[in-house]
Amino acid sequence: MDIWNQLLQGFATAGTPVNLMWAFVGCALGTAVGVLPGIGPATAVAMLLPITAKVDATASMIFFAGIYYGAMYGGSTTSILLNTPGETASMVTAMEGNKMAKSGRAGAALASSAIGSFFAGTIATIMVTLFAPIVAEFAVKLGPPEYFCLMLLAFTTVSAVLGQSTVRGLTALFVGLAAGLIGMDQITGQARYAGNVPELLDGVEIVLVAVGLFAVAEALHAVLFEGKTVESENTMSRVSMTREDWRRSIPAWIRGTAIGAPFGCIPAGGTEIPTFLSYATEKKLAKGANLAEFGTKGAIEGVAGPEAANNATVTAALIPLLTLGIPVSNTTAILLGAFQNYGIQPGPQLFTSSSALVWALIASLYIGNVMLLVLNLPLVGLWVKLLKVPKPQLYAGILIFATVGAYGMRQSAFDLFLLYGIGVLGLVMRRFCFPTAPVVVGMILGPLAEAQLRNAISIGEGSPLIFLQRPMSLTLLIIVVAVLLAPRIIKQFSRRSIEDIG
Amino acid sequence: MTEGASSKRDQTLVGVGVIAVALGLGYGAMDIPSDAGYAGIGPNFLPWFVSCALLLCGGFLVYEARSGGFRDMEDVGDEKPYWPGFVWMSTGLLVNAALITTIGFIFSCALCFVLAARGLRNAQGGSNAGLRTWGTDTVVGLTIAAPVYWMFTKFLAISLPGLTQSGWL
Repeated sequence: MDIWNQLLQGFATAGTPVNLMWAFVGCALGTAVGVLPGIGPATAVAMLLPITAKVDATASMIFFAGIYYGAMYGGSTTSILLNTPGETASMVTAMEGNKMAKSGRAGAALASSAIGSFFAGTIATIMVTLFAPIVAEFAVKLGPPEYFCLMLLAFTTVSAVLGQSTVRGLTALFVGLAAGLIGMDQITGQARYAGNVPELLDGVEIVLVAVGLFAVAEALHAVLFEGKTVESENTMSRVSMTREDWRRSIPAWIRGTAIGAPFGCIPAGGTEIPTFLSYATEKKLAKGANLAEFGTKGAIEGVAGPEAANNATVTAALIPLLTLGIPVSNTTAILLGAFQNYGIQPGPQLFTSSSALVWALIASLYIGNVMLLVLNLPLVGLWVKLLKVPKPQLYAGILIFATVGAYGMRQSAFDLFLLYGIGVLGLVMRRFCFPTAPVVVGMILGPLAEAQLRNAISIGEGSPLIFLQRPMSLTLLIIVVAVLLAPRIIKQFSRRSIEDIG
Repeated sequence: MTEGASSKRDQTLVGVGVIAVALGLGYGAMDIPSDAGYAGIGPNFLPWFVSCALLLCGGFLVYEARSGGFRDMEDVGDEKPYWPGFVWMSTGLLVNAALITTIGFIFSCALCFVLAARGLRNAQGGSNAGLRTWGTDTVVGLTIAAPVYWMFTKFLAISLPGLTQSGWL
């Protein structure tokens, strides 16, 4: 019952008024950024990274987790009510959710997605509670060669599995690795690519890259290409579910959670695959009148399942982040950056060295889920008003917050010029369909992976064969190769299932 | 599939850009010592590796662009880019970067807001060139920038540049 005691301790820490306040503000802010188009959880957390300089670690991690979580709830609201699908995570929700909203059932769709998110989030949090310490205990035994291989696996999945094209994913990954090279080498202190610019000697701040690639690029994209785009908004209806809706949603939530949670645990990258799988499952299992609703009036299972899968994946993704220090998405990469700002390196030692922080964070996930359910069910009407913010003010306002994030980190105007440059790069990447997650993951994980690589080869007394001599690292290398080949098979499979859906 | 949104020429340029970055990284890597110590590889290993990998990626991108365009592109739509709006917003961001330390966070950001909002308004078209929208944007810009400034400097103690030392302006 050791876990139980530590969890209770976590609740005690997370339950102090100040920390509850941080959790609440985080959840509210997260819901807001989820609802607002043009800004996602990764951007929001990145913009607020400067607070790590002043706010203590536990409070700010609770705050960031709230944003991370809240954005998932808010995102589904937008994709149900607006006709433009928001982030990839809620793309599938948008397909049926939109149809339901059009036939006057927006309220039921919103309710099912919020309750489903709560259900899946809570189950996945229980999983994190039970399994993270076990994984951490196991991970202590891993040495540099194994770590390097794990990171290689994360690089491979994030660049080759996500996105449409492997070559564009890899290009993005290497651009990120290149950005991570700038500054001082971790092991020898050798300056690399700093030129004579003192600002570059410290390296490029992750805030700059994230805010530039997401927020500034998004605003530039909006002004260049989206001026004439008109979004139509669906009308709201009362947020409630009939007995029939419940009967159809509950099994879909359970199945969605079961599909989503395992995907979060492995570095398989992203929520696209689990949400699509859940959607395909629900459609396959639907019969008669319910099946006829898919793609026509909108079927509630098609909202409930993927939304649960989405939240389960996102929550379970905290397991590899906390126990191995390996992020598999934009937002988890930036959360890793936040830990690093405190000089904390997530990894197996985290559960012993910063156990109070970790358990408070896990406890806050339970608390946050409850807060979000309240914020998103009775108060959904309030958030919907955010959709009415006119676009010019919205994007121009985002730029003000981008300035805070970029300048607040190092107090250097040079960073603002760099921010603009990165924004233009992000615009080009977006226009030519380069994924952005590999850049962020590459940049954060790159220096860590390099250090592990060099340590590993030192252990092997200068021989890279060390990776083949240890059973764990060899297995991991084989998995990396499999992952490189698997997407082709999975793609074929998902393409077929999408065709089935269509 | 890739027609309209991004032409062959643009895609080739992107590929060439990646190659240029790769060559730049390679050039820079020549200055990094290779002293490896106990590790078989020194601080210059990853720079060379990344440079070579990007060279390969760039080459492959150029090849794709020349032979039918990038593969598996999402449908990005074929709206024409609205460059004047881009110039407005870019001016806003760069002016902000140039002036923030002299005129302070609030005014600099409000100026950036006004210029960026102007670009976005023009991009939407319609008649909104009047003095009134300029006025509205200025007021809205200031009412966002000022509380943000106070919140960050007063409550979170993050230093942002001010016009005066008071911390209020």
